[in-house]
Amino acid sequence: MEVSRVMNSSETQSRPANSPGTLGSAISRAAGFFGFWLVLTGADTGDLAAGLFAAVAATWASLRLMPAQEWNLHPIKLAKFVLHFLRQSIVAGTDVAMRALDPRLPLRPGFVVYQAHLPPGTKRDTFCAIMSLLPGTLPCGPAEGNGLTIHCLDVTQPVVEQLAAEEALCVQALGGAQRHG
Amino acid sequence: MNLVLDIFTVSAVSAGALFLLAGTVGLLRFPDPLTRLHALTKVDNLGLGLVVLGLLPQADGPFGALKLVSIWLLVQLSGAIVAQLIAGAVRQRGPHG
Repeated sequence: MEVSRVMNSSETQSRPANSPGTLGSAISRAAGFFGFWLVLTGADTGDLAAGLFAAVAATWASLRLMPAQEWNLHPIKLAKFVLHFLRQSIVAGTDVAMRALDPRLPLRPGFVVYQAHLPPGTKRDTFCAIMSLLPGTLPCGPAEGNGLTIHCLDVTQPVVEQLAAEEALCVQALGGAQRHG
Repeated sequence: MNLVLDIFTVSAVSAGALFLLAGTVGLLRFPDPLTRLHALTKVDNLGLGLVVLGLLPQADGPFGALKLVSIWLLVQLSGAIVAQLIAGAVRQRGPHG
């Protein structure tokens, strides 16, 4: 099999295998999985062989399921985003807990369609996973066009504006599709 | 110092338990499957997060602490993904499908 060596970064996005970047991803993922194994087993030397085998198998499966792609992570923006996300998790949990414990049960559930800027793929899935932990929103599948159907606990909140702000932060941190406005 | 850490553990774990209780109340009181999913994903994540945070000072060295944080991250990841799958299924087939 012939592997093209000359390729720009936009082409590497959708190449499932044999593209430059796959080896780098394989090494960093394998290191991550092996590190995770060490944490789980308490780094017992008798288990290292099994851990190496498990890390290789996990890397193979992860490259099959989620091919290597460019992420362009910005570490500082990512750290800020993680802090923002933790704050939002507290807001989200408190919000739902207050609603659940309120005797009047103040809910205005309903669906909202959100036009996502991120193209379908791993980055959008990441955003959806984050969205499902944000206050009052739960993505439940695609809508017409490029939209996402979002279930909201309270449709009187400015959900679409909040999601647009969250997506902009997410794009900054993950280096996704650049689109302003 | 130990006393301070113990007080921290007791308060954080108690707060976490309160949130887990509130999540369960939401599961019982909310009117339909989608609103119940909100209760489970968001409140339980915060509850478990507080329990893990409270247990960190009692952890068995750095590996024990990392293991606790990994549990929270894995629960968060699976919760975020499974909630969307259940929500998609409910939307397509209705609450009783």
